[in-house]
Amino acid sequence: MVVSLISIILLCPLAAFAIFALLGLAKRNFPRQDYLSTAAMLVALVCSFLLLWEVVPKPEPHTVDWISLGKITFSMGFYLDSVTVIMLIVVTLVSSLVHIFSIGYMHGDPRYPRFFAYLSLFSFSMLFLVVSDNLLGIYIGWELVGLCSYLLIGFWFEKDSAANACKKAFLTTRVGDVGMFIGMMMLFARFDTLSLYGDNGIFTRITNPEYLTADASGIFWLSIAGVLIFCGAVGKSAQVPLHTWLPDAMEGPTPVSALIHAATMVAAGVYLTARMFPILTPSSSLVIAYVGGITALVAATIAIVRFDIKRVLAYSTVSQLGYMMLAIGAGSYVAGLFHLTTHAFFKALLFLGSGSVIHAFHAMHAHHDEEHANGEEHKHDDHSLVHAHGSEIPSDQDMRNMGGLRRKMPWTFGTMLVATLSISGVPFIFSGFWSKDKILGGVLGRAMEWNSVHHYVLFGMALLAAGITAFYMFRLIFMTFFGEPRNQEMHDMAHESPWVMVVPLLVLAILSFPVVNKWWFNKDNIIRPEQPHIHAPQHAQLGPDTKIDGANFGIAFFGISETEAAEEEGEKNTKKADDAYYIHKLAHNIAMVLSIVVAGVGILLSWLFYHRRRFSAESVATTFRPAYNLFWNKYYFDEFYDGVLVALTVWKSRLFAKFDLSAIDGIVNGVATITRQVFAAFIGFFDNRVVDGIVNRVAEVTWAAGGRIRRIQTGAIQTYLFVVLGGIVLIILIFRAL
Amino acid sequence: MDFTLKTFIFYGFALLTIASALAVVTVRNIVHAAFALMVTLFGVAGLYVFLQADFLAATQVIVYVGGILVLILFGVMMTSGRLEMRIHIERGQLLLGGGISLALLMLLLTVIANTPKWENLTDDGTAFAPTTKRIGELILKEHFLLPFEVASVLLLVALIGAALISRKEVRE
Amino acid sequence: MSLQHYLVISAILFSLGIFAVLTRKNAISILMGIELILNSCNLNFVAFSRFVTPPENIDGQIIAIFGIVLAAAEAAVFLAIILAIYREFGSIRPDEVDTLKG
Repeated sequence: MVVSLISIILLCPLAAFAIFALLGLAKRNFPRQDYLSTAAMLVALVCSFLLLWEVVPKPEPHTVDWISLGKITFSMGFYLDSVTVIMLIVVTLVSSLVHIFSIGYMHGDPRYPRFFAYLSLFSFSMLFLVVSDNLLGIYIGWELVGLCSYLLIGFWFEKDSAANACKKAFLTTRVGDVGMFIGMMMLFARFDTLSLYGDNGIFTRITNPEYLTADASGIFWLSIAGVLIFCGAVGKSAQVPLHTWLPDAMEGPTPVSALIHAATMVAAGVYLTARMFPILTPSSSLVIAYVGGITALVAATIAIVRFDIKRVLAYSTVSQLGYMMLAIGAGSYVAGLFHLTTHAFFKALLFLGSGSVIHAFHAMHAHHDEEHANGEEHKHDDHSLVHAHGSEIPSDQDMRNMGGLRRKMPWTFGTMLVATLSISGVPFIFSGFWSKDKILGGVLGRAMEWNSVHHYVLFGMALLAAGITAFYMFRLIFMTFFGEPRNQEMHDMAHESPWVMVVPLLVLAILSFPVVNKWWFNKDNIIRPEQPHIHAPQHAQLGPDTKIDGANFGIAFFGISETEAAEEEGEKNTKKADDAYYIHKLAHNIAMVLSIVVAGVGILLSWLFYHRRRFSAESVATTFRPAYNLFWNKYYFDEFYDGVLVALTVWKSRLFAKFDLSAIDGIVNGVATITRQVFAAFIGFFDNRVVDGIVNRVAEVTWAAGGRIRRIQTGAIQTYLFVVLGGIVLIILIFRAL
Repeated sequence: MDFTLKTFIFYGFALLTIASALAVVTVRNIVHAAFALMVTLFGVAGLYVFLQADFLAATQVIVYVGGILVLILFGVMMTSGRLEMRIHIERGQLLLGGGISLALLMLLLTVIANTPKWENLTDDGTAFAPTTKRIGELILKEHFLLPFEVASVLLLVALIGAALISRKEVRE
Repeated sequence: MSLQHYLVISAILFSLGIFAVLTRKNAISILMGIELILNSCNLNFVAFSRFVTPPENIDGQIIAIFGIVLAAAEAAVFLAIILAIYREFGSIRPDEVDTLKG
């Protein structure tokens, strides 16, 4: 049942893509590729929900042997636990909604069917990644989603910026993937398998106490492998320092940004890190936590000063992904996955909402085109038109051109407001508050429990980032939907999007309320896996309680009151209801209060700056010019890469080219010259004179000898007789003499 | 050695044979050479008589003189124009051929002279017995029958072959 | 009239025949030389038959008869070949018939 359901989930989108690909060979299109792909995703969605009832507390992988190399066998298989099923539902749900949204958004695009085929391929790859029970399968899915990301970012490849962005995305994630691959190989070298679960799986093996005691270097290598695998997640989830590709990836169509670059693919890094949770050691966990924390803060500060609506959301995504990484690095496994889930919904909603806004302006461009062209101009051409005006930001994405849209686009405004409230951490009824609070609480709890300075610092960074998040998200809302229209012409053209785009927004908005999700979530199944190598420091003496986060997750997501949960917890853990539990409880309470405070401050500041105009953002920017410049230039990451890495690479390439041209070519040419001038000449001379000479001499001697000897053959019989008789006489004389 | 009439006649035949043979090989006119050959053949026939080979002597005369020599004369007539009648001999070839012939003669004479077994084998004067009957029996009844038949086939083949070779090409 | 008389005569005839064969520039003269050689052979056979074997044994004479037969056949074929050569080359000089010259 499990296998067949998973197979259906995987095969539906794959079939949708395969139909496109096979017909594409015949230079045809399926008449309604959009309906086909959407239907495939809806089937997968239904199957994902059906899988909810198949989740068992102690799942076994369903594997088949795939490749056998000597004694080593690579298996392929599915692993279905509660995390898998949550990811499946998230992916299929967001993907379905994005499919539906795209029917409206991409309408009229010349490569409309291809877009849906790519979406299907992406969905398949992502789902494959999610259900794989081994690192090899995950890696295959990993690279496939990378490919789809590349294809979809560069979907409007006529635009140079899109073509460059897709290359950048592909290459940047490749950097991380190389690290991931090395990490995988390290695990493989140690365990001779890439399977994670099962009796022979890596996770089972590392929990074996013998592994811990037998090999002192084991934990060290495990740390290195963990960090290297995390490198893959850094690339894919756009963590600092490999985050630069994600904002550029916004060159892709907005539904793609929503699906791939907000909700699912970038979350794959988080998912991978969560999957690899058991092998994380204290050191690698700390590295992950720091990378996540720094990412959260850096991306949030950059987002403050962006004007491109999609770039704001992109940096927001990076920041939120940093949160998730921080959570997992700090050991708050469930909080990280929870935030992944909630973020997937509200960030997809934000992107689709921004897409709705952009679509409104697209329509205006289309209108313009109809005026002075044949009306056959396409969307991507609009972009190039805009670029031709010399503006860095496409005018239909520039928030400075927006304003007052709430009356024009009430549904878009309403749904985006819900998402913004959620991401900003407005308390109690929005999912984002709960998930973010769990992360903050988890980090603070870990800090208090272990009395760890690192985790206090991380908590501070996360808290600051939370405030900034609230600030820039409301800045976006105020600039876009409130105030007076800044560009009257564009404003006049704007209109509410068609129902096919609004409905997904509404669904996602509903999903941003935690209560709604209650029915499809079973909190008992979310169990944090053991981390055999993480032990509390000696002075704490408290093993992390796996139930605590789980309980709070339930509290958060289902809106169960805290006292209820506490009672429940208390009943379950009468023995363990000890210091650790209360420390975490206390930490969560503190974190909740603080997060509400920073969110409130952020929203208030935003209101003052961008709605009431009590303060001028420009004057603040002038006052803090260096900081503003830093943020505006995105911490100079791109410049650093261009100036250092790219330049270094180019310089190195030039050097190698010079080396190639002078040294290698010189050697080759020299050898060739020597060969030609000396050896070849000598051998040629030898051949011509000696070999040919011998042959010719032999021939000439033979010729001459033949010329002379043939005269014996006179043809006159008497000559022969002379010889014969003379010979007889001679022979007789000789024998007589003897 | 007593010079009886028989001895005298023997030497006469011997001399005739050798002299005429010398003429065969030396005279320039080929017709003369042919006639000289006839004399030689007669001489040999005479020597056969001395050797009590009467049938053979008769055969020699009939076949050689009556057959082969006539054949040779026909050949001369059919191939030689009048100018060709004379035989040209080159000096060098003459000397070389003479040398080789002389050397062979010397060798043969040396062998003859130095073979003791052959010495003193003189005509024992046994009575002459006609050989014709005996030859007929040997050829037709006894162990020379097969060679005789083979010889007859050979003659037939030679006859047909000669006719075939000498006739002019016949168009198919 | 011992055996050696005949043998000497035979040897002289043989040598003269060889001389003719070697030196004559006419194919028919060569044929004549060959006839001389054959006669010398026959003479030898008969002489040996007369002096060496018992009187009643005349196998040598039989061989001589076959020799004559051979001579006749040879002469016939020889002359036929000469005729053919004459038609082909217009000459019966042996040094002019040298198509097989190397």
